[in-house]
Amino acid sequence: MLPTPYIKCDYDKVYEPSEDSFLLLDSLEKDLEYLAQKFKNKLALVCEIGPGSGIITTFMIQNHIPTTNNNSVYYAFDINPWALEATLDTVKLNRAKDNDNNNAGSKSSLLEPVQVDLTSSWRSNQIDLLVFNPPYVPSETIPTRPERKEELDTWVDLALEGGKDGMEITNRVLAQLDTILTPNGIAYILFCARNKPEEIIKSMKENGYSNWNIELVKNRKAGWEVLSVYRFSRC
Amino acid sequence: MKFLTTNFLKCSVKACDTSNDNFPLQYDGSTCQLVQDESIEFNPEFLLNLMDRLDWSAILMVASDLGNTSLPQQKPVFNKDNDELSEEDMIILKDFHTLLIQTNIVEGQMKCRNCGHVYYIKNSIPNLLLPPHLA
Repeated sequence: MLPTPYIKCDYDKVYEPSEDSFLLLDSLEKDLEYLAQKFKNKLALVCEIGPGSGIITTFMIQNHIPTTNNNSVYYAFDINPWALEATLDTVKLNRAKDNDNNNAGSKSSLLEPVQVDLTSSWRSNQIDLLVFNPPYVPSETIPTRPERKEELDTWVDLALEGGKDGMEITNRVLAQLDTILTPNGIAYILFCARNKPEEIIKSMKENGYSNWNIELVKNRKAGWEVLSVYRFSRC
Repeated sequence: MKFLTTNFLKCSVKACDTSNDNFPLQYDGSTCQLVQDESIEFNPEFLLNLMDRLDWSAILMVASDLGNTSLPQQKPVFNKDNDELSEEDMIILKDFHTLLIQTNIVEGQMKCRNCGHVYYIKNSIPNLLLPPHLA
């Protein structure tokens, strides 16, 4: 089992790594072989939307996911400025620890934070591996983005609340997958049961995504939630 | 942010997607503060793969915005059939490592050549968020 990154963040500012974060780590770990096969030693542009503490991006950097020999560039996209800072800090912290343990592997990986709304400012078809732990909790509305960095509660709410069925944000990404990913690209996206992922996928298949492989990678009961990670790729 | 990232950032305004002027953004050479970060090791294989991915005309435009007009007009081609790169290729790749990976824009601004919206880079982080009335 791959080690979980060491995290030390202020959880008033960013989402605290929880069962959903860990399920994504486990899904990526389960797919290590698959991803290594898929990308071989080619360049991979990796993008995590909404990295929060940075746990998943750090995990990918530490474990050379998806390419085995430092052939990846990691992009962290978040609207929350605190999350970008936390991600930089978490990668740095773990890099220092890896250096102490003589695991120099993650030393020269490229991490680039971008403050952005999902992938709206990114050239089309340029992401090879997309990872997204969205705000998936059903809510009346989606919070408005704070004008000031100091409005901490709202930033954290934005990481959680997903509007109707908890799907309003995820749906924006799903609708764009075809223009986000490279032809060989793969996305890992987390859902909770209340998002009704099976219905979503059925409807995607019927509406333009018939030539896509959409597969359940892992699911898990977490308290009163059932979480699942799906993998999206072209056939 | 690394010079490399300029090869992927476009204007966030949706209406600009139908224009050819939303990418690359136009970097303001007079406000952009460049810092060389030498902590990242040169990895020729990575650079070679990366070159394939680049939009060369965008590289030329941004380099020129930032005062570098010495790049070749055509994207360099490397002989990949050989197991080993020639010494000359290595020198070229190393130059691109310096440009794409080591060159960081730590402060500065850039704008969309279509709508004119200005975006800022602060503490090396580009901010592509739009004000509510444009989002």
